[in-house]
Amino acid sequence: MANLSASAPGLQSATKGFIESDNTEQPTEGRAPLVLNMHKFGEVTHQVCRVAENRPPLAWYIAFAICLSMLGFLGFCVTYLIFTGVGVWGLNNPVMWAYDITNFVFWVGIGHAGTLISAILFLFRQKWRTGINRFAEAMTIFAVVCAGLFPGIHVGRVWFAYWLFPIPNSMDMWPQFRSPLLWDVFAVGTYFTVSLVFWYVGMIPDLATLRDRAKGRFQQFAYGLAAIGWRGSMRHWHRYEVAYLLLAALATPLVLSVHSVVSFDFAVSQVPGWHTTIFPPYFVAGAIFSGFAMVVSLAVPARQLFGLKDLITMRHLDNMNKIILLTGCMVGYAYSMEFFIAWYSGAMYEKFAFVNRAFGQYWWAYWIMVSCNVITPQLFWFKRVRTSIPLMFILSIFVNVGMWFERFVIIVTSLANDYLPSSWDQFVPTWVDIGTMVGAFGLFGVLFLLFCRYLPMIAIAEVKAIMPEANPHPHDHGVPTGAVGALHEPQSGGSST
Amino acid sequence: MSAALTTVADLSDRSVLGDARLVRVSRAAALIAVVALVLAAIVAWRQGDPHGFAMIWLQNGIYVLTLALGAFFFVLIQHITNAGWGVAVRRVAEAQAANLNWLWILFLVPMFWLFVTDRQFHGSGHAEGYTFGHGLALIWPWADLAHLSAESPAEGVIVAAKSAYLNVPFFLIRACVYFAFWAIATTWFFRTSRMQDHSGDPSLSRRMRFAAAPALILFALTSTFAAFDWIMSLSPAWFSTMFGIYFFAGICAGGFSALAMGCLRVQGLGYLRGVITAEHYQDLGKMIWAFGIVFWAYIAFSQYMLIWYGNLPEETVWFIARQIGDWAWVSVALLLGHFIIPFLFFVSRWAKRWRGTLTIGVVWMLAFAWLDIYWLVMPVVPHDVATYTTYDALAAVYATTSTGLGNPLNYLMLVGFVGLSVAGATHRLSRCAVLCRRDPRLNESLRFENI
Repeated sequence: MANLSASAPGLQSATKGFIESDNTEQPTEGRAPLVLNMHKFGEVTHQVCRVAENRPPLAWYIAFAICLSMLGFLGFCVTYLIFTGVGVWGLNNPVMWAYDITNFVFWVGIGHAGTLISAILFLFRQKWRTGINRFAEAMTIFAVVCAGLFPGIHVGRVWFAYWLFPIPNSMDMWPQFRSPLLWDVFAVGTYFTVSLVFWYVGMIPDLATLRDRAKGRFQQFAYGLAAIGWRGSMRHWHRYEVAYLLLAALATPLVLSVHSVVSFDFAVSQVPGWHTTIFPPYFVAGAIFSGFAMVVSLAVPARQLFGLKDLITMRHLDNMNKIILLTGCMVGYAYSMEFFIAWYSGAMYEKFAFVNRAFGQYWWAYWIMVSCNVITPQLFWFKRVRTSIPLMFILSIFVNVGMWFERFVIIVTSLANDYLPSSWDQFVPTWVDIGTMVGAFGLFGVLFLLFCRYLPMIAIAEVKAIMPEANPHPHDHGVPTGAVGALHEPQSGGSST
Repeated sequence: MSAALTTVADLSDRSVLGDARLVRVSRAAALIAVVALVLAAIVAWRQGDPHGFAMIWLQNGIYVLTLALGAFFFVLIQHITNAGWGVAVRRVAEAQAANLNWLWILFLVPMFWLFVTDRQFHGSGHAEGYTFGHGLALIWPWADLAHLSAESPAEGVIVAAKSAYLNVPFFLIRACVYFAFWAIATTWFFRTSRMQDHSGDPSLSRRMRFAAAPALILFALTSTFAAFDWIMSLSPAWFSTMFGIYFFAGICAGGFSALAMGCLRVQGLGYLRGVITAEHYQDLGKMIWAFGIVFWAYIAFSQYMLIWYGNLPEETVWFIARQIGDWAWVSVALLLGHFIIPFLFFVSRWAKRWRGTLTIGVVWMLAFAWLDIYWLVMPVVPHDVATYTTYDALAAVYATTSTGLGNPLNYLMLVGFVGLSVAGATHRLSRCAVLCRRDPRLNESLRFENI
C-alpha cells in the first residue's frame, strides 16, 4: 500500500531509520517476508536481547508505576473484601454473580489468543506466528492468573477456597463432580499448567542466549538457572522440536475446552439466556476474538517502545486484525442465532430474556456490546484500517470493552430479570467492584511489564527459522519460484495467509 | 522426502487433461445410478409408503448435498487463507462442489411438486380438494398445521407461533435462495479457476480470494438455515442454537472424506501421478480428523450434554427419539464409528499417508457421515411423549422402535444419488484439466512437505 507511511506517521524503524517496508501484500507467487531489514541471525538476537539487557525507556517506568499503583489498589480492595465480606460488592439476590464472574470470564477469554497462536497456528504452519507467540503466551499466563483471582475471592469465605479442589478432608466432604463449576477448576488449572509448560519449554533456547550474553554475575546465574543447561547441541534441538510439536498438539484441545467448560457454567442451567446450546463454540470464538484484540493492544505499543517493528511487522498486525474480523463475524453469527432461536423456540422466557437484553434496564450495556463486537470490527474489511496503527489500536480497545460487556450482559441481565418478576432487582456496582476490576488490569500490567523487561519478548530461535537465511538453496539463488531447482528447498510450502 | 517429483514443467497432458478415462467413469456411474433409481422406484411402488419414500429421498438428498457443500467450503478456505499446499487437489474439490448447480433438482422439484399436488398423504379425514401447500406435510409436519394440532395440540400451539418463519411460501423461497447462491457461487469459482488454466493470470487468484470472504459468510448462513429448514423443522417444536454448526461439522466430515476419495480415485485412473502425494493425503486426513471427527464430536457432545443436563422436556424429546428402541444402537454406533474409532485411526501419520489405509478410513467416514444424516432425519418424536411420568415407562413402550435401516430402499437411493454425484463431478472433470495447472501457487503445492 503506497500510502502506508502517510496514513501512519512515525513508522520509521526505531533502530535503523529505515522506512518500514510494506510486506502486507501477499504475492501470488512466493511469500511475503516476515522479518524486515535484517540479514543476519545475530541482528535478530541483538534486537530482542537488548531489551532485556539495557535500561528500559522512560515510558516503561511510567507504565510500571501506574500498573503497580493499580495493583496496590487491588490488594486493598481484596483485603477489604476478605475482612468485611462479599456484601461490599453490589451483589444482591437474584444477581449473585456480577463483576466477579464477568471479570473471570473476561480474563480467561483474553488468554485464548496465546494458546491459539502457539498451538493451532503452529499446526496450521502459520509462520508469522513466530513474531508474536512468545508474548501472546505470556499474556495467556498472566490473564489466567487474573482470572484465577476472581473465583477465589468470590466464594466469600476465602479461607475455604481450597474446597474448590477435590482434596480428601476430615469432614469427608467432596465437591459436586456433576457441577460445571468443578469442571472449571480442572479446565482452568490444566490450561494454566500446560500454557506455562509450553511457554517455558519454548523459551529455554532463548534463555540460554540471554545467559550467554549476560555481563553481570547475577544475570548469568539467573538466566543460567532458567536455561536448565541448554547447550544448543543437535540432540538438544531434536528433542526440543519433538517436545514442542507434542505440546502444541496437547495444547490444541485446550483452546476449545477451557472456554467451552466456562460456557457450561451458564449453559447447563435453565436460566433464560444462559441455557442455549451454541454457547461452547460461541464462547470459544469470543475468547479468541478478545484475546487477539488484547494482543494487538499490547503489540502496538510494545513494538514501538522496544524497537521491534522489523520483527512484529505490519503483516503480523494485518493478520491479527483479519482474525479479529473473522472471530467478530462468528460472534455476530452466534448473537443472531441466539436471537433467532429465542423467537423460533416459542419459549416465552427465552424470548423475554433476549428482548430484555436489548431494551430492558441494561439496554445500554447490550448496545455497547453489539457496537464494539459486531459493528466496529467490520471496519477491518478495509485494508487501510487493518494497516493503520492508530485505528487498529482504537478498534482493539473497542473489542476489549465490547467483550467485557458481553459477559456482563450475559450474566447480569439474565439474573436480574429471571422467572419471577417479584424478585427482580438491579445490580449497581460499588467502588469495590470497580476497584477490583481496575486492579486486575494493574496485576496484568505489572506481570506483563516485568516480562517485557526481563525475558526474551520474541522467540529468537523460531524467528530465525523463518528467515530466508535459514533456508539455504545454493543451486538456484535468484531463480524465480516455478523453476525446476525449487525442488531442493526443504520445508517449503505450507505457510498461508 | 516424499515431495512430488514433478514440477510444473514436467506435467504431461495425459496426467492432467480430462479425457476418455473420466468419460467412462462418468457414464458407468450414471448407468449405475439410473439402474439403482429405477429399482428404487419399483421397490417404493411395491412398498406403497409415500412418507417413508419421501424421507429416504430427503435423507439421501441431504447426504449428497453435504458432500458437495464440504468441497465448496474447502475451495473457499483455500482461497481466503492464500493456502499453497492444496492447489494440487483443488480442482477435484471444485468439480465436486460444482454438483451444487444441479442438486437443486433433487430438492426443489419434489418440493414444488408436493406444493402443487392436492394429495394429502397422511391418514384419513383430509379435506376435499387442494389445500394450500399441505402436500409438504408428507415430510414437514408444520406444513399442515391443522393436522398437526389435531394429533398433538400442545405442539400445534408452539408451531403456530413460529408460522411467520415456518410457512410454505417462505420455505420454498428460502430453498430457492440457498440453491441459487450455491449454484451461482460454485459455478463462478469453477469457471474462474478454469479461466486461469488458459491464461495463467495471477489476478484471478486475487479475485477468487476477494470473493471467498463474502461467499464464506453466505455459506455459513445458507447452510445453517438449510439445516433449520430441512432437518430441524422435521421436529417443528424442537430447537437448538447449535444445530447449524452440527450440520456444518457433518458437512466437513462427509465433504472432506469425499474429496480425499475423489483424489484417490482420480489418481487411480492414472491422472496426477506424482502430483498429489502422500503429503497432500496427510493434510486431507488431518482436515478430516480435525473438522469431521474431533470438531464433530465436540459439537455433538456439547449439544447433547447441554440439553440432557438442562433436562427441559421440550428439548430432551429430540434426543429421546434417538435413544428409544433400536435408535439407541445407532446413537452408540455414531459415538464409536464417527468419533472414537476414526479418531484413533486417523491420528496416526501412516494411516493418512498410505493410500490403502486412507481409502479404508475415508470409506468408513463416508459411511458414518451418511449414518449421521440418517440419525438426524429419520427418528420421529413420539407424539404421546408428554404423557409418561418416567423415562423407563416411555422406553418400555417404544422398546421395539425400528430404525428402518433394513429397508433396501435406503441403499438403492444412496447408490442412485451418489452415482449421480459421481457422474456429475467426473463429467465436469473430463472436460477440463484435473489440476489447476497454471495456478501461481502450484509449484508450492507440488513441493510441499509435512515436517
